[in-house]
Amino acid sequence: MYRFVLRRLLSGVLLLFVITTVAYLLLYAGGGDIARRIVGPTASQAQVTLKAAQLGLDRPLLVQYWDWLTHALTGNLGRSWFNGQLVTTGVTSRVSVTISLVLGATIIATIVSVVIAVWAAVRRGWVDRVVQFVGVLGFAIPGFLIALGLVSLFALNLKWFKATGYVPITTSFGGWAATVTLPIIALSIGCIAAVVQQVRGSLIDALRQDYVRTLRARGLSFNRVVYTHVLRNAGGPALAVLAVQFIGLLGGAVIVEQIFALPGLGQITVAATGQGDIPVVMGVVVATAAIVVAVNLIIDLAQGWLNPKVRLS
Amino acid sequence: MFRSKRMAALVAAVALGLTGCSAAGGATQEQSSQTLTLGALLAPKTFAADQSEFANLSPFYQAVYDTLIRMKPDGTLVPMLAKEWKYNADKTVLTLTLRDDVKFTDGTPFNADAAKQNLERFKAGTSPDAQFLAALKTAKAVDATTLELTLSAPDPAFLNYLSKDASFMQSPASFAAPDIATKPVGSGPYVLDTAATVTGTSYSYKRNPDYWDKGLVHYDNLVLNVYGDQTSLLNAIKSGQLNGANTIDNNTLTEIEAAGYKVNPLQLNWSGLLLFDRAGTTNPALKDVRVRQALNYAFDTKAMLASIGQGYGELTAQVFPPSSDAYDKALDSRYPYDPAKAKALLAEAGYASGLTLKLPSSALLGNTIPALITQQLKDVGITAEFADTGNNFIADLLAPKYGVSYMILEQQSDWQLINMKIAPNAPWNPYKYEDPKVDQLIKTIHLGSETEQKAAAKELNKYIVEQAWFAPWYRPQSSFVTDAKTNVEVQTGNAYPFIWSFTPAA
Amino acid sequence: MIDTSPALPAPAAKASLFRRLLTHPTGAASLLVLLLVAAAALLAPLLATHDPGQANLQAVLAKAGPEHWLGADSAGRDVYSRLLFSGQFSLAGALLALGVAMVLGVAGGLIAGYYGGWFDSTSSWLTGLLMALPGMVVLLAARAVLGPSMWLSMMIFGIMLSPAYFRLVYASVTAVRNELYVDAARVSGLSDARIIGRHILTVVRAPVIIQSAMILGIAIAIQAGLEFLGLGDLNIPTWGSMLNDGFVNLYKAPTLVLWPALVIGLVCVALTLLANAMRDELEQSRGPVKRRKANPADAAAVAAEAATRRGEAAVVHPEEPSGTGGEVLLKVTDLGVGYDQPDGSVKHVVNQVDLTVRRGEVHGLVGESGSGKTQTAFSILRLLPQGGRITGGSIVFDGKDLAPLSEKEMTRIRGKRIAYIPQEPMSNLDSAFTIGSQLMEPMRVCLGLSKAEARHRALALLAKVGIPNPERTFNAYPHQISGGMAQRVLIAGAVSCEPDLLIADEPTTALDVTVQAEVLDLLRELQAELNMGVILVTHNFGVVADLCDRVTVMQTGRVVETGPVRAIFEDARHPYTRQLLGAILEDTAPRGPLLSLNGVSP
Repeated sequence: MYRFVLRRLLSGVLLLFVITTVAYLLLYAGGGDIARRIVGPTASQAQVTLKAAQLGLDRPLLVQYWDWLTHALTGNLGRSWFNGQLVTTGVTSRVSVTISLVLGATIIATIVSVVIAVWAAVRRGWVDRVVQFVGVLGFAIPGFLIALGLVSLFALNLKWFKATGYVPITTSFGGWAATVTLPIIALSIGCIAAVVQQVRGSLIDALRQDYVRTLRARGLSFNRVVYTHVLRNAGGPALAVLAVQFIGLLGGAVIVEQIFALPGLGQITVAATGQGDIPVVMGVVVATAAIVVAVNLIIDLAQGWLNPKVRLS
Repeated sequence: MFRSKRMAALVAAVALGLTGCSAAGGATQEQSSQTLTLGALLAPKTFAADQSEFANLSPFYQAVYDTLIRMKPDGTLVPMLAKEWKYNADKTVLTLTLRDDVKFTDGTPFNADAAKQNLERFKAGTSPDAQFLAALKTAKAVDATTLELTLSAPDPAFLNYLSKDASFMQSPASFAAPDIATKPVGSGPYVLDTAATVTGTSYSYKRNPDYWDKGLVHYDNLVLNVYGDQTSLLNAIKSGQLNGANTIDNNTLTEIEAAGYKVNPLQLNWSGLLLFDRAGTTNPALKDVRVRQALNYAFDTKAMLASIGQGYGELTAQVFPPSSDAYDKALDSRYPYDPAKAKALLAEAGYASGLTLKLPSSALLGNTIPALITQQLKDVGITAEFADTGNNFIADLLAPKYGVSYMILEQQSDWQLINMKIAPNAPWNPYKYEDPKVDQLIKTIHLGSETEQKAAAKELNKYIVEQAWFAPWYRPQSSFVTDAKTNVEVQTGNAYPFIWSFTPAA
Repeated sequence: MIDTSPALPAPAAKASLFRRLLTHPTGAASLLVLLLVAAAALLAPLLATHDPGQANLQAVLAKAGPEHWLGADSAGRDVYSRLLFSGQFSLAGALLALGVAMVLGVAGGLIAGYYGGWFDSTSSWLTGLLMALPGMVVLLAARAVLGPSMWLSMMIFGIMLSPAYFRLVYASVTAVRNELYVDAARVSGLSDARIIGRHILTVVRAPVIIQSAMILGIAIAIQAGLEFLGLGDLNIPTWGSMLNDGFVNLYKAPTLVLWPALVIGLVCVALTLLANAMRDELEQSRGPVKRRKANPADAAAVAAEAATRRGEAAVVHPEEPSGTGGEVLLKVTDLGVGYDQPDGSVKHVVNQVDLTVRRGEVHGLVGESGSGKTQTAFSILRLLPQGGRITGGSIVFDGKDLAPLSEKEMTRIRGKRIAYIPQEPMSNLDSAFTIGSQLMEPMRVCLGLSKAEARHRALALLAKVGIPNPERTFNAYPHQISGGMAQRVLIAGAVSCEPDLLIADEPTTALDVTVQAEVLDLLRELQAELNMGVILVTHNFGVVADLCDRVTVMQTGRVVETGPVRAIFEDARHPYTRQLLGAILEDTAPRGPLLSLNGVSP
């Protein structure tokens, strides 16, 4: 077990390393005249050069990257070139917003989709077809369209929810709930649709399995068999889909955060990438990649718990 | 959207102060109310005073830093940290008498030495406005309350600059602090509440209990929220979260008014084309004044104002504002919309068969303006090619790579405007185009008597319009909106009202 | 020849995927929508009313009207025309991403799957990397480096999407790589390229097509998303940039955002529905494909056949005088079992079956595959597969008719009064749970035992069925034990609540010959101990001779002969029974029972 975890961690670290290298190279190449952008058009060339020297932008690429890397390994991700904030502070404060969105959406999606999928897989018939159709709609329509619709309808016309802004959960739970409800709904609809499809499919397959009949023959009620045994067996593929959705949501959150003005990772990613604020973008990349590695590891462990056959390989 | 934000960034980045006419200032009474929540378009890059900026960022700094001189909403200069000031005869030495009862929030006293250090640091720093103090040769702290500034040459705008970011006074003891970028130490009316502040998004300030001018402070707390795009800003306004906010453009003023907000208008900028390449370096066609004049005739500025600016603003053909000595109303009708005339001029210049112009575009400009420009140029036989500059819009403009560009620029006081756009070394004269007549007039404006200055300014303006150095369209109205609970006086020449101008409505 | 009409409907003929799609309602509709959109885009120059780039100051944000059918955007450009031309670019861009992804992913997956080796491990690692890269960041950064060209962005996005194809193809290829037909092809000297191209590609073709529909939808959505953020190519009209324009002007011209949103949504939905329809067609998970309408002439023939069949009564041998005297435990009368067909008819798999089982009796139910014996057994338990139901008759168990009982009542009877031993041991155990927990759980439900009591009883049962190390098996997972042990476990489970009736469905068919005998012994032992009635479904007369007291022979859903075992073996009267007996390879007389059914040696 420990060797398994260790191996995955090592491979995750390697992944992290490669990703950061690629990202750094991309950003460096696309940076343009960053110093000029920071000081503005009215500054003299001397000031631009001074700024560039201050930020170490005049050094060769590899030196800059090495510098960043060695600092990053000690946990120092530097400061934003455009607003001076510590990257670690900036990223962690924003990561929590994005994670609360994505996690919230995933949890809701899991619960809702399991319920719907069981219903559809067991009943079949017209219920199944309706679920499939609605699911397709939710899956196919891009998340930001749904977000747009939600903003227009609920926040601005019906005025039920605060349209924008974010209240941290530590400040007030009610406030936090009000500000994240609509974004989470927007994000989870697509997620629900995808998971329902997968879970429904797995359930239908699982329901066809022989052991279902045998267990019923032993006197277990159908519902009990479904919830105790079938769901557990269908859980593996469902988890895999959830993991993919979670990671996809990290990207989808970018646009939703813009629409709802939530100070999450998405916001600074777009702005910082456009400006060429390399420390910040690298911080985001590191955070995202770390999350991805962590999620994959957790899912793998969960798969092992769910499916004993995987455990021993 | 982002493009609007970035455009605002551009505008803000080039903004400077403006001298206005004099008028008596109103008395401010001490009246504290709870929290003032304002919306802003940009976040400050750093709180270090020597790297500070102004315009849209002014409130962030004004909350924690004082300046030597304060400018009232109508442009009059009144004492702040400096009680009084006087020029010598040839306006090269400025002597200021400073207050002696001001302490920074870290307990250290404000004195002439502190002022001197701040000024020197700003001049040598990386703020885009560092060149405000270009004329400052030496600063001397004669004693604790006397500051003597020697200028290399008279600078008509110098006193104005001392009411802006050039003059933010930060505690010298904090110069070396490692967190200087996020923890400002000043003597201002508020103190930054770092715990409640989310850098880049929301800045929280608490009243400074030891502030030396209680009459200037009207709120216990101040919150400045940053909105990157129009929609989030609008959403925040509509849901009643803000007492006041700057708007990016005039598209949504009707909506905002319907939500119970008041529009406080201000004319600050001009919008149109900058015809940089007057020597024809990149595009020989632009060397010919007839071509440039054709560009002035080609645009239906009234319709542009109606569509892009929602009709909020005034048409103009000159880059100087009405408040300026250089302004002449008659010049505004020099180039009425006349595509036939434009075509004729082009034919005269030898471009009857057409002409291609390259202009820079970027996400800043969005989709609409390039399309409208392209169409109108096409109507007179000019093909406009927009090249996306990606992240390098400014850098490419200043390189210079493009002979023509669309831009929104601020209309400052005459001297500042000349130094920003017209003078050979002006930032917005990237080809460094020089004209002997212009040089002559600039010298007069710099060094001449007041009468001579005014006359020269008028002549300069007329010459530039005739020579079609620019193709202005209109002066768009900028709007600051306030809710029913808040009153504000907009600041002449600044994109954001000064922090002391906000008062609770009775 | 022995007539073996199948018990379940036959699979549909292999018509081409495309034609089958046309019969699928949502599939056909989506295809139509997509074709319309594509046609509109291609014919844009003909259908458009204005030049899409023609700006018009006078028409800025114009409302819909005769001049601009759908209104005009913020630069006065005609929305309708832009919508059409955008289709060209948006679709082309998405197709580009699709193409790149498909070429890279499919080729990579084929090579990695087929050849394995270093290419395999490197590409697997690469795909992991690509999937872990934060897509938005890469696209944004790439845009900063390469400029805003939509084509480049889509190519890069294609690269990032290729893992989806890679994994799909890789899985399919590895699944068939070791199939016999591939080996055969290799041996016959076919080149690798030929094998991959001809045989393996046909396997992956369908899933790839389905995946493509999904990927295309994703590409369109992501492209629109990027442009919505204002980061697209300004010079070309696209749906996403129209969306951007609409969003910025949301309050002034609300309908501006509506049209591109509708189109994008419609295309994405159509693609997803299309993918689903294709998947349904290939897996036929809708159920049996609609067959041609029941031909009246056919129906008549079937009815006539049924009538003649009905007329044939089963041969019933008289009871043996020294037969089992136990009370009648189960009396099945006139049982019918049928499956609903998609065209409304019912296909009967069991017709008018009578069956009587006494307490203490082992009753063999014999027949070939498709005779309906298993269906009869399932119907007693009311565990028929999806679509099946009892169409007539009664199943009287211990005085009570089971047929009309509710599911809840049946659940109470199963396990406790009637038990079941399945045929295939491994697939009948839940591989996610330990043997022990699977044993305990139903016992606790049926008998209300505590966990400790159930564990104790389970271990005792395991020992009783002859498992050498009960503790170890208790803690093991199904895949860790052998087939023979698994069957013993299932037997243990079946008898755990001491049922009255035991239905054993070919309990030894899936086992090794040596194990078979042991299991049969075990069954015999348990049956005697608990004095259960046993229905032993089998096609093996040897087993019948070994264990059974009475036998019922079934053919095509009907009972043809029934009676004491000895009578059947010595004096089979129905021609079918004689055929079956005659088919036994051994030339010796059938063995008599080793023990009489009352435990008394003959």
